[in-house]
Amino acid sequence: MAARILIAEDHPASLELLRYLLSANGYDILSAEDGEAALELARRHPPDLIICDLQMPKKNGYEVVGELKSDPALAQIPVVAVTAFSMIGDREQVLAAGFDGYLSKPIEPEEFVSLIEQYLPLSLRQQHGGR
Amino acid sequence: MPDQVDYRWIADDPDALMMLDHAGKVLEWNDGAERMFGYSRTEAVGTRIHELVTVPGSEAEQDHFIAETIELGRGTFEALRRRSDGTLIYVVISGKVGQGGPGELFLLFSEKDVTQLKVQRDSKSLESKFRELLDSMPDGIVIVNPTGHILIANRQAEWLFGYERDELRARPIEDLLPQRFRGAHKGHRSHYFSAPRTRAMGAGLELYGLRKDGTEFPVEISLSPLKTEETPVVMSAIRDVSERRGFEQTLQEKNLELLAANRAKDHFLASMSHELRTPLNAVIGFTGTLLMKLPGELNPEQTRQLEIVRNNARHLLALINDLLNLAKIEAGKIELNFELIDCGALVGEIAASLRPQALSKGLELIVAMRSDPIVVETDRRALSQIIINLVGNAIKFTVHGSVRIDLALDKAGKKRELVLSVSDTGPGIGEQELSSLFEAFVQGQASRTKGVEGTGLGLHLSRKLAVLLGGELSCTSTLGTGSVFTLTLPEP
Repeated sequence: MAARILIAEDHPASLELLRYLLSANGYDILSAEDGEAALELARRHPPDLIICDLQMPKKNGYEVVGELKSDPALAQIPVVAVTAFSMIGDREQVLAAGFDGYLSKPIEPEEFVSLIEQYLPLSLRQQHGGR
Repeated sequence: MPDQVDYRWIADDPDALMMLDHAGKVLEWNDGAERMFGYSRTEAVGTRIHELVTVPGSEAEQDHFIAETIELGRGTFEALRRRSDGTLIYVVISGKVGQGGPGELFLLFSEKDVTQLKVQRDSKSLESKFRELLDSMPDGIVIVNPTGHILIANRQAEWLFGYERDELRARPIEDLLPQRFRGAHKGHRSHYFSAPRTRAMGAGLELYGLRKDGTEFPVEISLSPLKTEETPVVMSAIRDVSERRGFEQTLQEKNLELLAANRAKDHFLASMSHELRTPLNAVIGFTGTLLMKLPGELNPEQTRQLEIVRNNARHLLALINDLLNLAKIEAGKIELNFELIDCGALVGEIAASLRPQALSKGLELIVAMRSDPIVVETDRRALSQIIINLVGNAIKFTVHGSVRIDLALDKAGKKRELVLSVSDTGPGIGEQELSSLFEAFVQGQASRTKGVEGTGLGLHLSRKLAVLLGGELSCTSTLGTGSVFTLTLPEP
């Protein structure tokens, strides 16, 4: 069974890109365009991995990761920030906030899937270890 | 109680009259005494005079008055007395001894308030001695006696507070204070005379003077105790600090403005970075998916054109990165994290990551260093950014031959310094270009004619980072032979 990935992203073109890349690699995609919707979706259909933008309406990425990590039912789901905040220091701030990983935009589409798969257990990876 | 005393006489006298026993205990206390000292008859009778009106510290003087009166049968003394509210007055005391029952002795003290008289007298005497001297001082000077009266105010003080010549003499010092400070000041003042020392008044407090016309101005005051023949006094030097306060306030406001501007700038930079990257994400991303042929096959021309789009998008991204980093450096926002770095290992890693790029151009990438670790205390990120830029440039501009990285730890005086040089067999840089090489958006002739990609900010950024790390970045080059870029980093 394909792993389920939840994408929280408010920028339509970015959402489409991530969804396209991951579906093309066989992943089952859920998506939400704001932080609140993402949390609701995560509670209803716990995914295997969450890709989360930082700047989003209603609840931003930091608030989302905070709530996810304090919910025992969801805390073990890996959450990777994919964000256009990529100034020096942003990575450290993101990891300190509880995210399991950080990828900066613009993403490199050739590498993106294998980078994301590092946060999935081997058995759930479509590319089985990447390129 | 002695019978011989005429109590009515005691009660009616306008002066303060009190009857004491030989130890100073009050036996009688008239209305005059109550008016003068603030203690009622009930409060006073039965209490020793020492605890009522004697200024703390001068109990021996009081004992002396009593002893001398008993010894001589009468006595006249001048003394400072303390009222129940803590304020001080000058009195002249006339003491007499009376006989009560057999062997019973009592004293009758009649005390007259001579404060005003004494103020006038001391003022005159001090004026003749000090006025001229004080008028030559740049600060406002006011000399005050223990009862809080101004004995002398110099010309500057009169001018500061808006008074005519000699108008301040004999006024209570509290006249120069705004109403709200007066109560507390009387207390401080009386206290000061019991332990006088030179000090700044109200350190850390905002003090204000009150002009005759009712306006206030901020002051700075220093106090010095002074013993004169006539009386102990305190000299206050008063300075109007309106102008300085004004400057301080303006500076503080300016600081806040700068802080806000700085924050706004930070926010602007972060937002700009975010907003520029977001659309680029879609451009680079979808160009990538097309080139990966995920949606379907491409013909060779489509592939070529999409690669042009992707290269230019990446160039734009590199520019954004460099510009933002530069802006951060200029704003002093780069946080350096100095730690011990194994530079040999770092250079090894960078060389390994860039070697494929060199090999694809048929270039050799050589690393030359000692085998033992070269460890320096520096910021890893900044150092690698510089090395990546130098090696990347060398590979980019060299058509055949090699790129060589030399790493050594040299002695520079007492300290050691890291010397890293990147040499190439590229086209070299002309003397004229060499002089402006590290400026922004200046690229060598080669890059323009050979169409080599670059933002024109790499060396500019690298030199800024080198300086941030406490080091230097320099270049020597011979046209047609190659260039050597050298980074020196002294140990901190």
